[in-house]
Amino acid sequence: MNQPVESRQLTLDRIRAATPSAAQDASLLADAYAALPRAYIRRGDLSAQARIELMIHRLREYDAEVVECTPEELADALATQLAASGRHRFVAPSGAPPEWLVTSAYKIKGLEWTIDHGLDIDEIEKAEGVVTAATCGIADSGTIVLHHSATEGRRVLTLLPDWYLCILRASQIVETLPEYFSRCQQPPVLATYISGPSATADIEMTRIKGVHGPRILVVILVRDDPEYINLIHRPDVNVANISKYLDLDLDLRFTASVKPKL
Amino acid sequence: MTHAGSERVSLDPRFAPPFPEAALIMLRNPQLRKNVGHAIDVIQTKRGKLVVEKTDWQELRSAASAIRVHALENLGVYLEEFEARCTAAGGHVHWAADAAEARQIILDLLREENASEVIKIKTMTSAEIQLNPFLQAAGVNVYETDLAEIILQLGEGEPSHIVVPALHINRSQVREIFARTMGLKNLSDDPKELTNAARTYLRQKFLTVPTAISGANFLIAESGTVSVVESEGNGRMCLTLPRTLISLVGIEKVLPRFQDLEVMLQLLARSATGERMNPYTSLWTGVSPGDGPQKFHVVLLDNGRSRILAKTKERQTLKCIRCAACMNTCPVYRQTGGHAYGSVYPGPIGAILTPQLMQMKYAQTLPYASSLCGACYEVCPVKINIPEVLLELRSQVVNQERKQAGRFFDLMYLGLRIANLIFATAWGFHAAQRMGRIGLRFFTSKDGWIHSLPSLGAKWTQTRDLRGLPKQTFHQWWATHAKEEK
Amino acid sequence: MRASLFITCYNDTLFPEIGRAVVRLLERLGVTLDFHPRQTCCGQMHANTGFRGEAFSQAKRFVRLYQDSENVVIPSSSCVAMIRDQYPGIFAELGNESLHKDFAALVPRVYELSEFLIDKLGVEDVGATFTHRVVYHASCHGVRALQLGERPYKLMAKVRGLDLATMANVDRCCGFGGTFSVKNAEVSSAMLTAKLQDVLATKAEYCTALDNSCLMHLGGAMHREYAGMKTIHLAQILASTEADSEDNRTEAAQ
Repeated sequence: MNQPVESRQLTLDRIRAATPSAAQDASLLADAYAALPRAYIRRGDLSAQARIELMIHRLREYDAEVVECTPEELADALATQLAASGRHRFVAPSGAPPEWLVTSAYKIKGLEWTIDHGLDIDEIEKAEGVVTAATCGIADSGTIVLHHSATEGRRVLTLLPDWYLCILRASQIVETLPEYFSRCQQPPVLATYISGPSATADIEMTRIKGVHGPRILVVILVRDDPEYINLIHRPDVNVANISKYLDLDLDLRFTASVKPKL
Repeated sequence: MTHAGSERVSLDPRFAPPFPEAALIMLRNPQLRKNVGHAIDVIQTKRGKLVVEKTDWQELRSAASAIRVHALENLGVYLEEFEARCTAAGGHVHWAADAAEARQIILDLLREENASEVIKIKTMTSAEIQLNPFLQAAGVNVYETDLAEIILQLGEGEPSHIVVPALHINRSQVREIFARTMGLKNLSDDPKELTNAARTYLRQKFLTVPTAISGANFLIAESGTVSVVESEGNGRMCLTLPRTLISLVGIEKVLPRFQDLEVMLQLLARSATGERMNPYTSLWTGVSPGDGPQKFHVVLLDNGRSRILAKTKERQTLKCIRCAACMNTCPVYRQTGGHAYGSVYPGPIGAILTPQLMQMKYAQTLPYASSLCGACYEVCPVKINIPEVLLELRSQVVNQERKQAGRFFDLMYLGLRIANLIFATAWGFHAAQRMGRIGLRFFTSKDGWIHSLPSLGAKWTQTRDLRGLPKQTFHQWWATHAKEEK
Repeated sequence: MRASLFITCYNDTLFPEIGRAVVRLLERLGVTLDFHPRQTCCGQMHANTGFRGEAFSQAKRFVRLYQDSENVVIPSSSCVAMIRDQYPGIFAELGNESLHKDFAALVPRVYELSEFLIDKLGVEDVGATFTHRVVYHASCHGVRALQLGERPYKLMAKVRGLDLATMANVDRCCGFGGTFSVKNAEVSSAMLTAKLQDVLATKAEYCTALDNSCLMHLGGAMHREYAGMKTIHLAQILASTEADSEDNRTEAAQ
């Protein structure tokens, strides 16, 4: 029969006896923690443009579809992607801004939005796609961070539908993982870090995309970075040629090892 | 009948055969060795490229090691902090002193829920306490949801690796298992099709089974947050869809602060699967209204860990973050695969962890299942000096032997005791050299080589020749050389 | 420069030609060598098998014999690794204060052969000629415990006529591991077979290393399998000169 209280005390007593050199009080513990060596790279050294470029590069390595747009173009860009998906039943988180929904609903025939105000699992399972915002993008690993706010949705929302469109803002992109942690004022209550579509390599190490999570990942990168906005409004610049106007200094150490095709 | 090319193996250290014996069966299985070698080569190549790219790899290792040492040094405080925060966030924390207690706690929780079924995300800790057979015997159907674990569960096989547990099984063997157990006669051996079969097989379980069991990669003391790192999304399914979630976690898994993850997550995926980041990392804190399971239990498992914590050299074993880089690089594991280790924890980390969890009463051959080449220590992201612990455990095994009467019949034991006497004086050493030369003359061929020796020597000469002893030792030559100089 | 040669127990008994090559090489470079007649073993075999008390008595013996030496040269990387990595722990457990102190004073003067040549003598070109294709086996203790790094390659680069082959998985263990080769003979043999495939694929004439224990293992298999390749300690290559007769070379390669 289990005796939870006794086991708790027993285990803690054993641990205390095993660690005679443990810090004696909270302030000594904090000092010991503060003294831990952290000589690793905290802040990346890429320019803003190169950082964004790296994020796009990483996402594409993961076979994600990445499209760029200015903040004003977002509603149109979203509608275009929804139409291109060939799907019709979409869910959106409770805090989804109306501009996401209205333009697409107006433009696409048969498009159906369901807003998640506590939907049943079955209802979410029936959806063909989902659209959410994100908290952060980490360029080094191509990671999308969700803290599951009202615009990012409950965890289940970005899990069951097979097609997932994430709206990420350029200003949300950091270069390194530690930069994301520095941005967090306090630990998130809930978080999901997504680095490419769900995958397995359990059979002969052959990478297979899409086991249980969404099999298709689309990222709309909203270029809210000033450099891009200033440029795109010039008459001689358009989406096709903008990259040669941007000051790119993509570090070769990142591009040298493109993931091997398995 | 054996399925999937794997021999019947026992991963219970109390019943498993000694390592050399178990290894021999694996060495004679070409399919297994081919499968293992291929899988390891793929991971190693990917890992190698990513480690070269990471210019601060050594600094990350140092930080990770220091964080883990600090967390273990102050384990009591951090566990209590975790417990308080997790409880405040609506979670329930249970403490299990040993495997039996952990199993019982979990079964009681399942009974409270009237659960006849449970879905599981891969957890090494549950394998350690042999949870599945216990729950099955108590009438609870357990469904593993990790692709590799499904392959093993349906094929009635045992895991041979802690990250890719079915790496010893190839695609045609998976096809055979799925075709037979899922009733899919026309299944091909295309990994994509096989993966899809597993997706379809599990989808209904995810949507309907209301109780899940998970492990955890990290516990965050400051916030009471739990983290699980995975690839397939089966973890996210288990962690978000059910009503009730039970996480079984070893007490050593705690990290002081959320920020410590910035170190661990950079090391873990690169070391484990050769990815910059694994596809999905989940973090949750107690219970969140409207999002995920509304009942959450953490079972903190000691099961021998506090005993390891008490020992100076062995404590570092508990720094492990279960990335499996040590087994991927190990030249011994490369040849034998995981089953030879007779434990759910194979490879170098298993060779030090298993005997310690068994209080050195079982698995005494595991500390010797290493050539001490040091490759494991070199790759370990948290700098566990595995060779140092291996040597410490070997010394404990010998100290046990010293008390046993049987030692006088153990040629290795006797030989090393005698060798110690020989090396104690130059006179003894030189006399032994002379006797050796005479003794070995009988076994030495005309070409000056020994092709066959009796007894322990046969262990060498079964695959290797040995050069016969030369007429003159070096020190004899030196004596004449020194005279010439003068 | 003066140095004491610790030849190691198995080199003394089985491979005296390595000792002769070291003497020839170092004396050619102007080093005055001495040889302590009471030397036996560093204790590695005992320590690695778990016989710590026995290893301690040999470790103590080593320190007492060499504590007054100017330098100690050892042509065996695993024995040097034993002294550097394992003696401190063994002495901490079983030794006394004075032994600890004497060891700490001695250990900076203990050199593996390639360390002695490059770090202490500051030479890369030892004036050697060896006109053969050679593959270098980076033995585990040399590469990981001693971190010999580029040292052996720098030395080989200056040997006239030496054609250095590159080998796949150069730092993978050959499977010897001391008593491991007997306690786990079958696994050890499987590792050896895998290693031998990489070694033989280089089509070299000689496989060299800074540790005769690995070479004994590889050489034993080469001889058993009529592989057409021989093992040779790097000291023998470095000792070879243009003037060497074919006889000398043959002896060196045995």
